[in-house]
Amino acid sequence: MATILVDGQGVEARAGDSLLVALVRGGLHPTGGGCLCTGGDCPNCLVTADGVAYTRSCQVPARDGMVVQRDHLGGEEPALLPDEPGSPLRRIAPHAGEDAGAPSVQRSASRVLVKKAAPVQHVHCDTVVIGQGDSGREAAREARDGGLGVVTLDAREGQHVTGVYPGPLVVASDQAGCVLHVHPRREIVVATGAAEIQPVVPGSDLDGLVTARAAAELVAAGIDLGRAVAVGERPAELPEGTLAGHFPVGEGGWELVRFEGDGRVEAVIVRRHGDAGATDERIECDTAVLGLGRNPRNALARMASDLPVRVVGSAAMEPELPACPREGTVCPCSGVTVADLDGVWERGFHEMELLKRATLAGTGTCQGGVCLPYLRSFLLERGGRLQPAFTARPLNRQLTVRELAAGAHTAVTARSPLHDEHLSLGARMDRAGGWWRPWTYGRNDDEYRSVRERVSLGDVSSLGKMAISGPDAEAFLERIVPTKVATIRPGRCRYVLMLDERGYLLDDGMLCREADQGVGDRFFLTSTSGGSGFFELWLRDWAEAFGYDVRILNQTASLAAINVTGPQASRLLARAGARELPGFGRHRQVRIAGVDCRVVRLSFTGELSYELHHPAADACKLWRRLLAAGAGFNVQPHGLETLLRLRLEKGHIVIGQDTDYDSTPRRLAHEWAVNLDKGDFVGRQAILRTNKRPLDKRLVALRVEDPPVRQAADPSAEGAAIHDGERYAGYVTSDAGTAAGGTPMLGWLYLDAEGHLPREVTVDGRPARRVDGPTYDPDGERARVTVETGSESPENIGQFPVVRPEATDLAGEGPSGPLRLRRLEATRVSATPKALDALVEQPPWPAGALAFRTAPDELLVTATADLEVAGDPHAIVERETAFSYVWLDEATAERFLDRECEWRRPDARPALAQGEVAGIPAKLWFEAGRTLVLAPAPFAAAFQRRLTGSLAKPDKATP
Amino acid sequence: MSLRIPCPTCGDRSVHEFVHGEIRRVPDHLTDPDERDLDFAFHHDNEEGVVTERWFHAQGCRRWFEIRRDTTTDRIVETEAS
Amino acid sequence: MNEFVERQMKLTWRPLKKSYDVVIVGAGGHGLATAYYLAARHGMSNVAVFERGYIGGGNSGRNTTIIRANYGIPAAVRFYQRSVDLYRGLEEETDRWLMHQAKGLLWMAHSEAAVRAEQMRAKLNTEFGAETEFVEPRQVQELCPQLDMSGGGRWPVLGASYHPQGATARHDRVVWALAEGAMERGAHVHQNTPVEGLVLDGERVAGVRTAAGDVAAGAVVSAVGGHVSRIAAMAGLRLPIRTHRLQAFVTNHYQQQFGPIVASSELFFYASQTARGEMLLGAEIDPQPSFSYRSSHDFVQDVCRRALCLLPFMSNLRVLRQWTGVCDMSPDYSPIMGQTGVDGFYLTTGWGTWGFKAIPAGGEQMAELIATGEVPELIAPFGLDRFARDRTMADRGSAGTH
Repeated sequence: MATILVDGQGVEARAGDSLLVALVRGGLHPTGGGCLCTGGDCPNCLVTADGVAYTRSCQVPARDGMVVQRDHLGGEEPALLPDEPGSPLRRIAPHAGEDAGAPSVQRSASRVLVKKAAPVQHVHCDTVVIGQGDSGREAAREARDGGLGVVTLDAREGQHVTGVYPGPLVVASDQAGCVLHVHPRREIVVATGAAEIQPVVPGSDLDGLVTARAAAELVAAGIDLGRAVAVGERPAELPEGTLAGHFPVGEGGWELVRFEGDGRVEAVIVRRHGDAGATDERIECDTAVLGLGRNPRNALARMASDLPVRVVGSAAMEPELPACPREGTVCPCSGVTVADLDGVWERGFHEMELLKRATLAGTGTCQGGVCLPYLRSFLLERGGRLQPAFTARPLNRQLTVRELAAGAHTAVTARSPLHDEHLSLGARMDRAGGWWRPWTYGRNDDEYRSVRERVSLGDVSSLGKMAISGPDAEAFLERIVPTKVATIRPGRCRYVLMLDERGYLLDDGMLCREADQGVGDRFFLTSTSGGSGFFELWLRDWAEAFGYDVRILNQTASLAAINVTGPQASRLLARAGARELPGFGRHRQVRIAGVDCRVVRLSFTGELSYELHHPAADACKLWRRLLAAGAGFNVQPHGLETLLRLRLEKGHIVIGQDTDYDSTPRRLAHEWAVNLDKGDFVGRQAILRTNKRPLDKRLVALRVEDPPVRQAADPSAEGAAIHDGERYAGYVTSDAGTAAGGTPMLGWLYLDAEGHLPREVTVDGRPARRVDGPTYDPDGERARVTVETGSESPENIGQFPVVRPEATDLAGEGPSGPLRLRRLEATRVSATPKALDALVEQPPWPAGALAFRTAPDELLVTATADLEVAGDPHAIVERETAFSYVWLDEATAERFLDRECEWRRPDARPALAQGEVAGIPAKLWFEAGRTLVLAPAPFAAAFQRRLTGSLAKPDKATP
Repeated sequence: MSLRIPCPTCGDRSVHEFVHGEIRRVPDHLTDPDERDLDFAFHHDNEEGVVTERWFHAQGCRRWFEIRRDTTTDRIVETEAS
Repeated sequence: MNEFVERQMKLTWRPLKKSYDVVIVGAGGHGLATAYYLAARHGMSNVAVFERGYIGGGNSGRNTTIIRANYGIPAAVRFYQRSVDLYRGLEEETDRWLMHQAKGLLWMAHSEAAVRAEQMRAKLNTEFGAETEFVEPRQVQELCPQLDMSGGGRWPVLGASYHPQGATARHDRVVWALAEGAMERGAHVHQNTPVEGLVLDGERVAGVRTAAGDVAAGAVVSAVGGHVSRIAAMAGLRLPIRTHRLQAFVTNHYQQQFGPIVASSELFFYASQTARGEMLLGAEIDPQPSFSYRSSHDFVQDVCRRALCLLPFMSNLRVLRQWTGVCDMSPDYSPIMGQTGVDGFYLTTGWGTWGFKAIPAGGEQMAELIATGEVPELIAPFGLDRFARDRTMADRGSAGTH
């Protein structure tokens, strides 16, 4: 025996009762009136159950302690739950005996989860059978006999299917509180049966009306129907003697006219069918049992028309068309009457969809379950044309937002390997370009001064980074950047633009030609942080489109990068042990503070700058050692906010902020970075074409001596209008927002009618002057300063042990201990598929190492980087620390992946699989008894959280 | 899950793991270089029916491949592997 | 009877004629608005609108009913502000209840870059007549008490741009009121009449081909959504258009009032409450070109997850219904309106995810163009020739969402 709290009153329920049956047993109608079907087909039993509005009480088992309101809309306040701490309901809602603790704890846990997504369970199978009536059981048995893997879903087991989607995918709730995602490979069998046609006559909103099926269910539950009268088909399942009368409808029978009663039905009014002169007959009753025909429950099949769906049993029957309704409520969900239908019909709404939209019939919970047959018969009678049912759309059964969110994750923001370093230095992190970046360390002025006056560190690990080699590497790059590549000599680097085929700027970066050429050309190309996600696919797309023979290795996450910038930068590096530093526009390999770095000398801040690219695994060590080596210079890190100000003084653009979708190099005043005299490159023809058109706008630097008053909420002038006299002439794209005047702004300036770019304008009404070139160090002397290296006295040079990698011994480790992701030391190889085939055939690495063929032309191997790839002289072989890993034992892996991996895992062992797991791109290595999970290191923290969180969710019974 | 894209290296995965790419075509009759370029840069067949297109498996092997898909139903009619 | 049963509009269907001054292909909002303004403003009523299905059955009946003008470029702000203004007067002009309601639109920023972008948007909008201000978190919370300002602990609301004129209206009623207004002034609307081809007279478009025969026209306007490339191809044009699906869903009735329209470019969704009390959510287009009206689960799954970050009160609401439209996307996220270079053939397309809010202004301006032969100043920047003239209308303000 269980007790439910209904509108504050205790109602007893018996074992096996649905909420609806319990309510009826307690003498209550869930909504006060309307024919009950017990099949989930009508809106007449909707309640608010445990705070969830629009709950079909016939589809929910009555549970002890359930809190129900017979207002299905949900209250003004979220419903109180008895097990919520401090809930006054705790005192009055009885809990069942000794076991009270267990369900209560479970329910409390579900309350904690209430704002989060429900857990999901992915189930892969050959065939899914929806509905477990006779035809559904038969279909499942046949499929099983045929050796197929079958999953069955049954509403009576609490599995309510919301929709059949492409994939194919069947989504269903589960009584265990999780959401099932069933992925059938072969077939979806819809065996959902048929719905009973509801009465549409005056009085159809009274209590005491039930369908034939509902009557049988209530009687079976021991509920006394009183004096019951059947109208229509004789209810077969009703025991002898239950009925006090039976009135078949149709030819030779009767016509249902109306129900009479005050709140509850007292009489059924019928009249002889087809006899115009017949008089109404009044049959008194306590319950009217209605057998008015059936309609297939085929919405799931109709919403999946081009998927492998088979409909069996009565779900496949032809719809029965009831007589055109004369009077009464057609759509109980939206409260639409026959008079409403007539009204809109008279005013020209003749299409099924227009009838629906003009009345809202069919747009409620039952999705046309009640009204659709009547709408069709109405339109047939009025228009003489049988119109098809309106489109079947999900959701067939309405799950809650938190249930539907099951299995989804929000986008992950990547973390630099220095993330925790920034936090410990007091940084406020901000999302920028898909990465967490230190926005400020809380002392912007000092951050600024440390760059301009001393030396500073900036984390630029988020830059996109690509290694490119191959016989066609130079020709390829020549084809995709507008800069002349042939003249970049070994050991040199150059700022490059990347254009799309429209001649618009996509991104910018720097292109380095390796000093050590080896065989053929090898380059290193960077992109901005925001572009790093797009960078690789863009390069590969063009390489394949042009058919160039190149190897490309994405090193974005493999390499961290620290910008050492400021007048004392070279001295700091010398103290960190750097012997030879590159001159401006050059790069070279240098060991700094024991870490091997590619040092690139260009400048974004305007000061002497060295960008140190180094393996991600060594980043923290290098960062700390640089801070230690620079202590004597009062070195400070600088955040992104300061960097944006520094670059503005140099007039450097930021992609996405100063550039727009239509930014040609000409509009950006970057013609200097385009060489139209070299061969063809992406965007060249577009530049030639657009150069024939008059220029309309140009990105310019503006100097506002008397800057606008800074508002605390919005100190920046970004977006402010630029005027040339009265003429609107553009807007500001970048402004440092500092109180000090003099820092230039960048902005779009439209040419005037004569095609001139004005010199004197106003910004927000303040006089501004267009300036040419940077305001800070116009000749670039500070960035290009000649530096004498080796000038640091030996006693100042710090002692830093050399960092030497050691490959992770994956095979030697196992799935024991805490589930903690760790950084993998490995080697990545990009080479021709043939060369890699040969390499894995006779592996040069130690026997314990594992090798993962991540693409036909790419290999990840847990060995050190001194591999030789005999078959490909252009192979790129690099130390790889871009991944984090964890071993899972078989049971844990199953549990985790059933929840967080929606694609089908391989059956073979060992096997590599790649794809999204817990919303993060992962690589899975399946061995007998254990599974290795690799996640990109920038997402390792998020993966760790999702792994732990997912495993912490309660288990459920397997379907 | 919605549409599944068959990656020849990794297998069937949700469309969310991929980036869509197009194979560009310029009508033969366009001979003026500017006109050709304009068409190449901006215009699309936008075909209702079966199209050949490229997809990049961003969450997996990070490689491009080609498939044929019916844009009216989103059904994949041909894969690189088949 | 529910209060939303249509009780005012009267649609009048007339038999097909052999010839019209203007034939409009597509009886969605834009096609019907063009017919309406041709008749109401220019006295041109010998006009027919052809529709392959029923009126408003395409994107006009599948959108999220949001009206706003806070776009990213001056020409767009001016154009959409015109539409916002026309919408405000449309109930009075048509004497019909369109459920138009100004709610204010909050565009959330969760990062410094987004804060700057919203501040920029506020200034640019205000400059061109679309009232918008940047508001601090405290004001955001006041405007929308249901918001979790911590963004589920991961997407904090650092501020928002607030556009008080942001509004919603019942999409179907807008369509019907325009249809009724055009019909009562003599225009014809022909449902279930697909246009199968264009009638060409030399280089000139001179009519349309239907199953009921050829129909002559002085001018043919394509106002279709989702299939414009096919219509344009009949006139020998290739368009800078790709068609993508856009999905949306509603929950059951939410008992409390949810005041504003809430959008987040970083969490990629937007939410508002319908007149019936349902929460209506939309997000970005599907990535691949498609003409399929099939809805997907991952859409509702992802949007529910993201919405829970900001609107945790939704967790126990049930999702009632989801649907899909197909959007014609231009490369610069701006519409394409006007002449086409083919005599007698006009286009209004590229309505992407911003078509509903542009219905009155789009129709008004197209009608003026057709009636006067002069390109109105307001839509001159949006001509198809802009790509060849290197004057694309890159609009970041529309690229994000709705």
